[in-house]
Amino acid sequence: MVKQFYQAGQLIFLEGERARGIWFVVSGLVRIVKQSSTGRIQTLCALNRGRCFGTCPLFSSEINPATAEALEPTTLAVLPQTAFKEVSRQRPALALILLSVYGQRLAQLAHLSEALGTWSTADRINNCLLTYADYGAANPVVRLTHEELARLSGTVREVVTRHLAQLEKSAIVQAQPRLIEILNLGVLQSTWLCKAATP
Amino acid sequence: MDANGLAQFAALQKLPAAVLCQLADQMDRRRFQTGESLFQQGGEVSPLVALQSGRVKLFRQSRQERVQILALPLPGECFGGETLANDTPCPYSATALQPARALVLPPEKLRQLVLAVPEFQEVFLNLVTTRLKQFVTLVHDLAFRDVTARLAAVLVARAQSEGQRTNHGIIIERLLSQQEYAEIAGTAREVVYRTFRKFEQEGLASFTRETIEITAFETLAEIARQETH
Repeated sequence: MVKQFYQAGQLIFLEGERARGIWFVVSGLVRIVKQSSTGRIQTLCALNRGRCFGTCPLFSSEINPATAEALEPTTLAVLPQTAFKEVSRQRPALALILLSVYGQRLAQLAHLSEALGTWSTADRINNCLLTYADYGAANPVVRLTHEELARLSGTVREVVTRHLAQLEKSAIVQAQPRLIEILNLGVLQSTWLCKAATP
Repeated sequence: MDANGLAQFAALQKLPAAVLCQLADQMDRRRFQTGESLFQQGGEVSPLVALQSGRVKLFRQSRQERVQILALPLPGECFGGETLANDTPCPYSATALQPARALVLPPEKLRQLVLAVPEFQEVFLNLVTTRLKQFVTLVHDLAFRDVTARLAAVLVARAQSEGQRTNHGIIIERLLSQQEYAEIAGTAREVVYRTFRKFEQEGLASFTRETIEITAFETLAEIARQETH
């Protein structure tokens, strides 16, 4: 395995590029994104310490189906494809670990497809707040910018800003630069669960 | 079904004859009626399904009971079992759109084969990553393409995989109701009606109760490629 360091905002690999292997996040935060021809970005998932990515091309082709970018200073360890295949032949249980990663990712993508296809934008933003909140503090906090929240929830920054202003007015969240504090978790959860979704 | 029959499934062709025999012995033959569920989202880990005939929809249902169709596997394709190693609930449902026959490998036998047979392990991982990439493409379409492009993309993809050439274009079975076309494109039934009528008025396709004939494939493919967001 080879260790590599990336600055915040630095690209790790691009969609369509030949894959190098399987990547493990040693520290930091990575996001996997799809980009449209007009430059808009949809985040597929965000991965922190202990998670791995770049696994998709190992079996069905050698091309990365999405782009990976470091969101903050990040250390990665990369295991080349050939080495991985060799190790997995010797240790079949390793395949179950990889399958577990695939299973999680597939469930995440099925969920995201449902969200993009059937949920309202407000529901998608609320779901992102609940998904990416750090629940360690007295009040859960989300350390994302409006732009990042927009990319995660498949909308644009202006819509996120408007929605957060409404939540702030109802004292459900308090928004500060790069930090959104959830003041009333119960209401946010019930808002997301009970609202009738519109496309 | 014997090993030769299983070898007709493209994804399984790489397996040695001995492994195909082993697999054939362990799969159950099943028949499903129209509307019958093969497995359900939120249920236990799904089995591996090799579809022999008929059509099935893979879909996800929201808490508000809105449906997003994720895929329409063709006979000869395999699906299911993706969360085998997680022991987490099944991430999507599968329901027969028309009478279907399938070979079904229960999760516990699937797990044993993955652990014991390296050739099968590689084939199964390949199947799962192919499904993953298909879902990535779906997310891309839902995020960046408008409804017209998404509906065009559904027709183009079906024409490419299952269409039959005629003197006027490419013909496909209608297969889905207007509501189901809405559920595949993430929109409402009325929008599907209006969009299909527009395709018809512009001479891109014609619609009957049973079939859809695509008369201007290249133009429809161009619409399908457009990204508006």
